[in-house]
Amino acid sequence: MNKLLNKSLKSFTIYALIVLATSVPAYYFLVDSIWLRELDEHNEIVADRTEKELNNLNLAETELNQSITLWNKIQPGTNLEKTTLDKNRKDSTYTVLRKNPYVAHDDIDRFRGLSRVIKIYRENYLLTVETNVEETEETAIAIAILTFLFFLILVVGFLILNRRLSVKLWQPFRNTLTELKTFNLNSQSNISFEKSNILEFEELNVALNKLIEHTVSVYKSQKEFTENASHELQTPLAIIKNKLDILLQKEALTDRQYQIIEDINKALTRVSRINKNLLLLAKIENHQFDDSETINVSELTEECLEQLQEHFSNKELSVHTSIEKDCVVTGNRVLIEVLINNLLLNSIRHNSQKGIVEVKLNQTGLFISNSGIITLEKEHLFKRFKKTSEESSGSGLGLAIVEQICKRHQWTIDYKFQQEKHTFKISF
Amino acid sequence: MKILIIEDENELADSISEYLSEENYLCEFARTYNQALEKIESFHYDCILLDIMLPDGNGMNILEELKRQDKQDGVIIISAKNALDDKIKGLQIGADDYLTKPFHLSELAARIYSIIRRKQFRNTNIIQQNELQIDLLGKTVKFKNHPIELTKKEFNLLLYFIGNNNRIISKSTLAEHLSGDFADMLDNHDFVYAHIKNLKKKLNEVGCKNYLKTVYGTGYKWEG
Repeated sequence: MNKLLNKSLKSFTIYALIVLATSVPAYYFLVDSIWLRELDEHNEIVADRTEKELNNLNLAETELNQSITLWNKIQPGTNLEKTTLDKNRKDSTYTVLRKNPYVAHDDIDRFRGLSRVIKIYRENYLLTVETNVEETEETAIAIAILTFLFFLILVVGFLILNRRLSVKLWQPFRNTLTELKTFNLNSQSNISFEKSNILEFEELNVALNKLIEHTVSVYKSQKEFTENASHELQTPLAIIKNKLDILLQKEALTDRQYQIIEDINKALTRVSRINKNLLLLAKIENHQFDDSETINVSELTEECLEQLQEHFSNKELSVHTSIEKDCVVTGNRVLIEVLINNLLLNSIRHNSQKGIVEVKLNQTGLFISNSGIITLEKEHLFKRFKKTSEESSGSGLGLAIVEQICKRHQWTIDYKFQQEKHTFKISF
Repeated sequence: MKILIIEDENELADSISEYLSEENYLCEFARTYNQALEKIESFHYDCILLDIMLPDGNGMNILEELKRQDKQDGVIIISAKNALDDKIKGLQIGADDYLTKPFHLSELAARIYSIIRRKQFRNTNIIQQNELQIDLLGKTVKFKNHPIELTKKEFNLLLYFIGNNNRIISKSTLAEHLSGDFADMLDNHDFVYAHIKNLKKKLNEVGCKNYLKTVYGTGYKWEG
């Protein structure tokens, strides 16, 4: 994953590199041509002056020859000799590379030369003037080094700016992100984004606000519906239950009729249980439970086991417990009791006759296992009304409630199937 | 015994009254908050059944009113809300018990029975049922001064039956009564039978007459 600004920084850097790299030859050619033009000019001045001064001397032939020899000796880089070339021959300029005999180092130097035919007392002489000029590679290297330095300055500047910008520019974005991360549909808190003066971020915030408001209202009405529906159902359920109780008192029921009433009763109990569980879920999600009590889970677990003792023995289950003394958690007593009971009841219901139940508790968590044949589908396990086994009598909400209670207490719940045992692990 | 049923649902009020009338309870009705206030000001009741969700007021205020008037009527709150804080608040204000809809009439009857007995025999808390003596506070049972050792659940069942004298109680209702919320999660209601069997045996051992009858194969009836 890359940061957005780093992406643009990369492109900027590459672009800067290309521009600066192409500027190196451009500068080189520019500097070199200025050099050469200046030197040509200089050489011409030298040639003009030489011609003029020598003619002004009015020397005799022998003297002149001596002078020229002397000249040639002491004037480095120039040479004057008689020539048969025509005076009107065009000047030639050239560049040579050779060793400079007058310097100590062995390097090859570059010279810019001018050869011109001059006239001294009607005699034609060929004058060559050579001036040392900076070597191509030296110029190029100097320019490249300088350019690279500038490039470095640019990149360092980019990095510093980038860091500052990413902190400053993206601050509103980060604020929004923090808000979003902490936002939870279940918690009744509304989200509010800080105002930003950056158009794009403000647009984002507005759009998010709209989305969230809509989601929250849909969620709320959904939840209210569940709650209200469950509430409203309680009374008619009570009426049916009571009418059945009365029907049962009527004289001379047949066994079959009694059985039918009994079956209706059982179904009714299930309906009211589903209803109660839906209400419970809604209430957990509405944070209608105080969760700041300090609870001795060890004692609570023992109590729950005690209550279900007869049901364990009814199914001839062997219960192995290893419960550490005085494990304490912070939470809601009622909810934690519901959680333990739901898991224990599952371990009874989904167990074989004479099966095994294991309950382990320590300060880190609670493990409840029971004998089983095949693994349950993990992804549907904690969903509402998802039946993961052949059992039909459950409300289909037990594990959903367990999961919600874990969430409420910030515990994690995990399911494993190994060695023919279903294990639910709750980590405090 | 006079009972006031404060309940806006007619069907519910009627069923309750029908069930209780057979046990010599006299039921009166209040359908609204204001009616309820009038009734409690003018009369004394042995037990008041109070639905706290009334169309024109909160039943909790009726409870406070009773307390203000220093009335000794026993009160059972009936609520569609299974809210724990409601329950605690109600009991704090002075309700004697709290029932969540939907409930069985036998459950209600047993609780009314206990409350009225507790109120009536505030000094002794002893219920005399034929030759049986039941101490509500000490949770002990004697038969002609012979103590009978009962488990918590057996004692609970005995009270339940006596509170529903001559009523038929089905096995599933008993299962619900004994295991509260778990009943429907346990497909097997045999544990009810086990408790009943033990209770019967213990009563028979001391020579108590067989008041507990089995009807329709899995239903039960206390004929005291």
